[in-house]
Amino acid sequence: MAKVKNWQINREMNYPYDEKRPKRQWAIVFDLNKCIACQTCTLACKTTWTSGKGQEYMFWNNVETKPYGAYPLAWDVRVLEKLGRQEWKSKEPYYGKTIFEGADPNERAVGFKPEDEDWMYPNNGEDDCAGTVTKGDHITLPHDKWFFYLPRTCAHCTYPACLAACPRKAIYKREEDGIVLIDQSRCKGYGECVKACPYKKSMYNPYTRISEKCVGCYPAVEQGYQPMCVQNCIGKIRIMGFINPPWKAREDNPLDYLVHKKGLALPYYPQLGLEPNIYYIPPIHADKSYLSQMFGPNVLGAIGQYQALQDDPVAQGLLLLMGSTDRIIHRFEVKNGMATGFDEADDEIVSVPVTEPLMERKPFDEKLGAVRQNTP
Amino acid sequence: MTRFGISATWIIAGALWAAPAWGVTASKVNDKVIDVDSGAALWAKAQEEVVTLMAQPIALPRPAKTETAQIRVKAVHDGSWIAFLLRWKDSEKSEAGILGKFSDGAALQFPVGDGDPPPIFMGARGQPVHIFHWRAQYQRDAEKGKPEMTDLYPNMNPDMYPMEFKDPGSLKGKIGKAQQEVYSHGKAAGNPQSYLKSGVDEIFAEGFGSSSVIENADSKARGKWSKGEWSLVITRPLERSNGSVLKAGSPAWMAFAVWQGDRDEVGSRKSVTMSWLPLEVK
Ligand code: SF4
Ligand code: SF4
Repeated sequence: MAKVKNWQINREMNYPYDEKRPKRQWAIVFDLNKCIACQTCTLACKTTWTSGKGQEYMFWNNVETKPYGAYPLAWDVRVLEKLGRQEWKSKEPYYGKTIFEGADPNERAVGFKPEDEDWMYPNNGEDDCAGTVTKGDHITLPHDKWFFYLPRTCAHCTYPACLAACPRKAIYKREEDGIVLIDQSRCKGYGECVKACPYKKSMYNPYTRISEKCVGCYPAVEQGYQPMCVQNCIGKIRIMGFINPPWKAREDNPLDYLVHKKGLALPYYPQLGLEPNIYYIPPIHADKSYLSQMFGPNVLGAIGQYQALQDDPVAQGLLLLMGSTDRIIHRFEVKNGMATGFDEADDEIVSVPVTEPLMERKPFDEKLGAVRQNTP
Repeated sequence: MTRFGISATWIIAGALWAAPAWGVTASKVNDKVIDVDSGAALWAKAQEEVVTLMAQPIALPRPAKTETAQIRVKAVHDGSWIAFLLRWKDSEKSEAGILGKFSDGAALQFPVGDGDPPPIFMGARGQPVHIFHWRAQYQRDAEKGKPEMTDLYPNMNPDMYPMEFKDPGSLKGKIGKAQQEVYSHGKAAGNPQSYLKSGVDEIFAEGFGSSSVIENADSKARGKWSKGEWSLVITRPLERSNGSVLKAGSPAWMAFAVWQGDRDEVGSRKSVTMSWLPLEVK
């Protein structure tokens, strides 16, 4: 076991391999306040990557309703239960056990083996809310009955459990972008990654008899484009880019800005110790204790930041760049009421107004001689 | 620690070769052994060795306990091929299939090259081993064909796969298997695991996690499960160019591994011999 630095839990931890950070790290930020569970991302992924045999129930990208939805069934509560109760005090490093530190001596990580059936109800729990809605109920803030949508891909973790658990070393993390891949020519389908990945993003294909997982749309990323789930997001809730560790963070990098500078977006279940690279702007009206379990003690700070957005034109501008280009934004700036994104060569790729100009349309259209209907 | 102590002693014993009282002995027979099966009469006279296995102790993940403590081994050869008969108790026949179902299996391991044998656990860099890996799953393939999705899930009703249309219309006869299989990642990548198998894979390895399957290997295997016991015959040519070479009269080594699929044994979760066993080809 090597000692490696995990900034998400703010301490050193044990991992089977030495710390070796890639040149840059693939990452996505999701604004959970805006996801509508339209599943366009899921289908964009499915039609691109998993339409073949043995992939019928395979969703590298899925969107589940929290707290009750989960694909595969109950993955989150089962992992948390296996790891056991752990403490994480606010403003302190996480001193509880990670899945690597809590592992049985015969195993690489605390994990569970999902059953075949567990993958067959991807919409389980959809739109179920926590609490019973009774007659006369009305909305209060924060919501006493709540749910939110959680879109998920592989997190291309800095310390992947899938990679750690593979005795064939058939899983590797790319030096150039941190994308974690299962070598489709070497995997023998032992299913160790399926068992070890706490997020359950490594999946078994019974037709090819080997495991598969989200590839981060690496062919697009290599060309400077964001993954299909990001490009096609209807709610414009996603942005993919490259994140630096906090000690190398650059304020004009969209991912660094959201995660490190503003603390608006947080990794999910960071206490598991993988340093996952999908980050969430938490839903501000959901139950705080649930959110703290999922996003750690910094979640209250992130919610505060989101609620103060109206006074922050830079963050506002950046959130507007989400979903406004298919290309990967390497640098952004917000100036004179415009938010602009730049590519790797620092050429401008997109520019959007922070505040849309107000257009007033008269109720009666003189030219057509018709009353305007407000149908969008 | 003791375990390693014992294995080191055994390797030294090997260096000072003297006809040991234990090990596998392959006598020469007059019949051809290439297609021999476990019920053949020639086995009656072959000497049996009881080989002790233990849960693989080194590489993680590893089994929590030994699932196969013993196998009984016999061997015969005809001058060009050698046959090994392995028998072990396994209460349930497992042929893998859907997620979480693993296959029963067994493997023979031989050193490549002369001199001191490589490290017992799948060799080491520059010290390769030659492995014959049989899986019940592969044998099922050989007998019944590689399962289609509808074999694995009899009640499923897939409407369409890419390039595989129920009514191809004008595309009839124009789309080949190769085009369809572009959508099967493992197959498109040429992974041997994703293809129809003959029953046994020949593999070279230089340490844990380094194995690669040899193409066009001609060894054979046939397992039979009955009343809680597997009887498996693996036959191989005595000499394999670039691989392990067995010669009548020359001392040799071999090792064994067994997997019980229903006990979640797969990959590094297996029972193995803890040291090389002498093999005497008479
Ligand atoms: S989310 Fe799971 S599959 Fe993806 S890199 Fe992390 S451990 Fe591996
Ligand atoms: S496409 Fe966007 S809004 Fe729709 S479910 Fe996916 S993440 Fe949510």
